[in-house]
Amino acid sequence: MADLSLARNAHGSFTTREARLPLIITYVFLIIGAIVMIMPFVWMISTSVKPDREIFGDTIRWIPTELDLQNYSDAFKQTNMPRIFANTIVVTAVAVASQVLLGSMAGYVFARLHFRGKMLIFFALLTTMMVPFEVLIIPVFLLIKFFPLAGGNDILGQGGTGLINTLGGVMFPNFVSVFGVFLFRQFYLSFPKEIEEAAIVDGCSRIGVYWRILVPNSKPVMGTMALFAFLWSWNDFLWPLVVVKEDSLKTIQLGLSVFDQEQGTAWAELMAASVMAVVPVILLYIFLQRFLVSGGITSGIKG
Amino acid sequence: MNHAVGKATVAVAGSVDWRDRLYRFYNSQAFVAFLFLLVPVLLLAALKIWPVFYNLYLSFTRYELFEPPRFVGLKNYNYVFSNKTAFQSIINTLLFTIEAVPIGTALALIIAKLLDQSIRGRVFLRTLYYLPVVSSVVVSAMIWRWIYSPQHGLLNYLLGIVGIPPQNWLNDPNLALISLVIVTIWGSIGSNMVIFLAGLQDIPKDILEAARVDGANPVQSFLLITVPLMRPVILFVVVTFTISIFRNFGLIFMLTQGGPFNRTNTMVWEVYQNVFGYLRLGRGAAISVVMLVIVLALTLISFRVLRERQGA
Repeated sequence: MADLSLARNAHGSFTTREARLPLIITYVFLIIGAIVMIMPFVWMISTSVKPDREIFGDTIRWIPTELDLQNYSDAFKQTNMPRIFANTIVVTAVAVASQVLLGSMAGYVFARLHFRGKMLIFFALLTTMMVPFEVLIIPVFLLIKFFPLAGGNDILGQGGTGLINTLGGVMFPNFVSVFGVFLFRQFYLSFPKEIEEAAIVDGCSRIGVYWRILVPNSKPVMGTMALFAFLWSWNDFLWPLVVVKEDSLKTIQLGLSVFDQEQGTAWAELMAASVMAVVPVILLYIFLQRFLVSGGITSGIKG
Repeated sequence: MNHAVGKATVAVAGSVDWRDRLYRFYNSQAFVAFLFLLVPVLLLAALKIWPVFYNLYLSFTRYELFEPPRFVGLKNYNYVFSNKTAFQSIINTLLFTIEAVPIGTALALIIAKLLDQSIRGRVFLRTLYYLPVVSSVVVSAMIWRWIYSPQHGLLNYLLGIVGIPPQNWLNDPNLALISLVIVTIWGSIGSNMVIFLAGLQDIPKDILEAARVDGANPVQSFLLITVPLMRPVILFVVVTFTISIFRNFGLIFMLTQGGPFNRTNTMVWEVYQNVFGYLRLGRGAAISVVMLVIVLALTLISFRVLRERQGA
């Protein structure tokens, strides 16, 4: 009896015969909810293409009478947009590459190699996953400020500004993520050992096994890691806010927030800038969401 | 793969024995582990382990950056629990949690349940619900500031249609926290929904079917079977959601800056104010330590519950 109810239907999910709300009620609820969820985004886009008189008119127009892209070019002019985008892309690209590489290397070690103290290191790293970055902001800030031999600092980290006000300072905490180490470890643990053993018999070294067999075969997990690293880095706000003072070094989230304070209520330009900040992320998400779903469960404990 | 050749040579001529030894060292598990772990472990030690202890140390000192930290005992902790503003930040964080977590979790669970059936447009709807999670806090805050705007904001306009007078959402002491709670719930439904969708897969379908055969209606089936069986997942979501509220800095920075009258001054904002506003690093560290203790306690609870769930 139970087996019959587990037959897969055309959508690939299990047909159940449990009590369900009528389809119409389900749809009404889900669609109203979805409208509430996306209304702010629609409003953002609508505002960004409206002339000012329609933004501050007495009635609300969702679809503007004329398309006004002036706001986008104004937003571009008023802040140093190209520079801000370049900074963000550099910081994000380094974070993605570094988290993928270091995560996969450490993940390989914890999944395959045996050495004294492995479990100790492993559990020490596991514990750090529980510590949110926000509560460590003071020591990490001090580490960046007193970074030896950087920004005029001597070997003891005194005398200069360290990595404060540098892109390196923005990148530094994002070089490695513990989440990534565990993601790769889990993936390599499930990877069949026989292939590696065959390669070792054929005279391949351990590093060769890692580089020629594991790396080329871990594209899905690399995609997941890259997407998470991209989202964290692109959307990061608190750390750049703390580290960067100069306009020419600002990343997109920081540029946006400062833009807001300087311009007061230039809502149209603000919304245009917001659209530019969020569109790359939404596009990437839509194309790569299959990677997100597979890693999404663990995203609650990122870091 | 030169070493394969190398090995063969070794077997013939003992004089190149050192090359074999070198290769064996190079290929040893300990060496590869050292090589591969050196950078990640050093970075994590500097960014995740050392800071925990240094933060604890700083919380017992008076430190204003220009002179070395000076030991002051429990003075900072005394400040945290007796100063009105600092203590208010703890209360506000708890209020924020109490207002956002129950409603946000319930909504996410209901939406997950409704989306967990093979209906047309399921994937599309799921994507829409997840969009606010992908968007950054800054962008979300920016949009909501515009929606909450007293003069030309969308919310006041929509409420005006049903005859509710315009409100000053973010500057009214009675409304500011609620306004932040609304944005937080909106921004978190997607990620909580994904966790619930995964959890719903583990509920045995025949139990739900048996309930239907026995005459349970959809609401009874949801409240009396799905919710009790999902209890561990619900607790996990409650804990991770709570931690995300403790960490939420961007929203406060962008929308209220802790105001009006400290009504939205949460712990993470109080840390930021003390450190980067008043340069009182010791006080900031003490508040961070209190935050860390609460977060760790919550995380350990969720781990324990998850383990029980796996054991069952």
